[in-house]
Amino acid sequence: MVPAMLSAEPMEQHLSYLRRAIATVETFCEDSPSRALGVGAIDAALGGGLQGATLHEASAAAPVHLGAAAGFALALAALAREPHKQTLWISTDFGSLETGALYGPGLDQFGLSTDQLLVAHVARPVDALFAMEEALKCRALATVVAEFADTPDLTATRRLSLAARDGGGIGLLLRHKASNAPSVARTRWQIAAAPSVPDEFGGLGHTAFTLSLTRNRRGPCGTWTLIWDHHEHAFSALSVGVDAAASDRPDRETRRTG
Amino acid sequence: MRRLPTDRIAKHDAPDEALVIAAPVKSALRLSAVNDAAAALGLAVGMPLADARARYPKIAVAEADEAADLALLEAIADWCDRYTPLVGLDAPDGLTLDISGCAHLFGGEAALAADLVRRLEAHGLQARVAIAATVGCAWGVARYLSLPQRGRVAGEAGRVGSVASGDERNALSPLPLAALRLAPDVIEALAQVGLKRIADVLDRPRAPLAARFNHLMRRLDQALGIADEPITPRLPIPSALVEQRFNDPIALERDVLGTIERLATRLAPVLEQRGEGARLLQVALFRTDGKVFRIEVGTGEPLRDPPRVARLFAERLDVINDEIDPGFGFDVVRLCALVTERSDPQQTGLAAPDHAAELAHLIDRLGARFGLRRVTRLIEQDTHIPEYAAMAMGAHMSRHVEVRNSVANQTRRLAANSVHAFQQDSAAPTRPIRLFTRPEPVEAMAEVPDGPPVRFRWRRMLHEIVHVEGPERIATEWWRDETGHALTRDYFRVESREGVRVWVFREGLFVADEATRWFVHGVFA
Repeated sequence: MVPAMLSAEPMEQHLSYLRRAIATVETFCEDSPSRALGVGAIDAALGGGLQGATLHEASAAAPVHLGAAAGFALALAALAREPHKQTLWISTDFGSLETGALYGPGLDQFGLSTDQLLVAHVARPVDALFAMEEALKCRALATVVAEFADTPDLTATRRLSLAARDGGGIGLLLRHKASNAPSVARTRWQIAAAPSVPDEFGGLGHTAFTLSLTRNRRGPCGTWTLIWDHHEHAFSALSVGVDAAASDRPDRETRRTG
Repeated sequence: MRRLPTDRIAKHDAPDEALVIAAPVKSALRLSAVNDAAAALGLAVGMPLADARARYPKIAVAEADEAADLALLEAIADWCDRYTPLVGLDAPDGLTLDISGCAHLFGGEAALAADLVRRLEAHGLQARVAIAATVGCAWGVARYLSLPQRGRVAGEAGRVGSVASGDERNALSPLPLAALRLAPDVIEALAQVGLKRIADVLDRPRAPLAARFNHLMRRLDQALGIADEPITPRLPIPSALVEQRFNDPIALERDVLGTIERLATRLAPVLEQRGEGARLLQVALFRTDGKVFRIEVGTGEPLRDPPRVARLFAERLDVINDEIDPGFGFDVVRLCALVTERSDPQQTGLAAPDHAAELAHLIDRLGARFGLRRVTRLIEQDTHIPEYAAMAMGAHMSRHVEVRNSVANQTRRLAANSVHAFQQDSAAPTRPIRLFTRPEPVEAMAEVPDGPPVRFRWRRMLHEIVHVEGPERIATEWWRDETGHALTRDYFRVESREGVRVWVFREGLFVADEATRWFVHGVFA
């Protein structure tokens, strides 16, 4: 057996077999449905939207932007939600202490109702990986978000990606700090909070993010600034400008005058 | 098991030497237990240790350890579970087994008793067994009757007594009154009036005896079967159980899991016939040397599907693998449904896959590995206090809550007479998406007396505030405020120059010459 393995020809066969296997894995779900983010430029870069049945990564640009990163993850989960399917959010105990735990009353701003959301608390990051893999295999979950302080290794992300292919949900690794570690995720985002446009009463406006797409298997990378509309539960590009955003609210003038 | 304390020690040492256990009784060391060799020398329980030493200077003496004795007794009780699930503890040295309906599995009552004695003997424990229709009768016979010296089975001699049902009166009458489980002072008082054997009280008029001696009549009635006496089982009685015995013990995890799945296959029809599913399952692994491991898993939905049951135990075993040492293997594996619940067959959709069942199974699996309380749903509570406004409830419990909520929603819908099921109150104040369990103190600079912060330093970063919303004053609800001095909190939503939004609050009101304390309580997106 061993001499046969060492001879050149079977080795070539093995390699070509492996290459083909990898190719099928890599290209398997180009036709799996994508969830459009609702912003033309980003959807175009993503080739139609965030690809389903696979793994994505998001990280906070700095620890202080973790709230924005979590908000982005919630927004994606809200956009990717499907009837009769749920969202699972996995966090470690230490992470919850350090960065705060997911808080129910604030979630409806993101269009995610609490009866569609499951929250799992685990002790160690390796448990979070296990839970995420199990959850991604489950077809009853539309999105699985797991928070990691550190970066899971390449093998772990490959396992997650395969599990997501079986289950058909979106897996989102939410990293507490940005890293360039290798991973098989389809996209990698870096999220920072952006100054918002105050509302007409001088209060805080809608949530604004600066999204950097730092890795994209399907198209170009880029940086956009978006706002998340808390009432419509939709993204819109902030670069359209303040005037334009105000002009599609004709009631503002009438309210002022009347 | 009169020799329990000495057997516990002799298990590890030489068995044939005289061994006594000494315990302090009223500031003197007295013998609390002796082994056979010591008894043959004439030593008896209650004798002062000094006397015993004077007579036999070479006897081995050990200190009494009641906790260890009790632990051993409990371990034996655990092991006795192999005969019947109904095992009662009768401290300090006895066990009560309810074998009704179980005896035929071991070839009859006598064979069961002989097997019990033989197996205990193999572990170095001497036991006397009596089988009777009442607990009281068996108790007395096991301890006070000189048992037949010739048994049908080897090893049974002098160890097993049996009283046929209805024959309790004859069996008990020659025994001393102590066989009725009476307090020592009652026995002494009875002895003073000349009553020493059970026969002495059996046919006497009841009224005078009952008036003078506590419990005497009750104990007598219990022993004779006139009054009822339940056995208090140590462990909950499972509502269904199946077990597998092995001639060759199994030790591999794979084999154990395979056995569990086979047992689950046998358990399923039992539950199905009753229209039930299990909510709490337990596997008991009986190791050959008498140790018993019990593993429990709970489920969110009534469950009887064998592969799913096996999968849950696989998760659980994976976590607690290190605690379970198979040693020389397990010879009995038992699966019981401790808690069951009604589970009616459900009509599943033909077109759509059954997501609910799959999700329930996922929750159970994660629950089996991490604990059922770790997989939660956020349930909103009717309170203003931010910390209490959301409660994390185990997802396995929330099935009932969902049902209740949907009923509540329906009534609300009827009341509002609108099509929309449930709408968030748009006037409700905005809440953060992440909340710190403990608010984090920050150094803030704010306008006095009650203005919003202008800048604050949080986690060594300085944040310049450009937009503010607030204050929103939240006070402790008066019924939670026990001392009446709880400080109010003035919450502000603030946005820094970089766009970071946090929820900060000032504790209490401004007091001149006193530092105001500020905290970050949550983070907005």
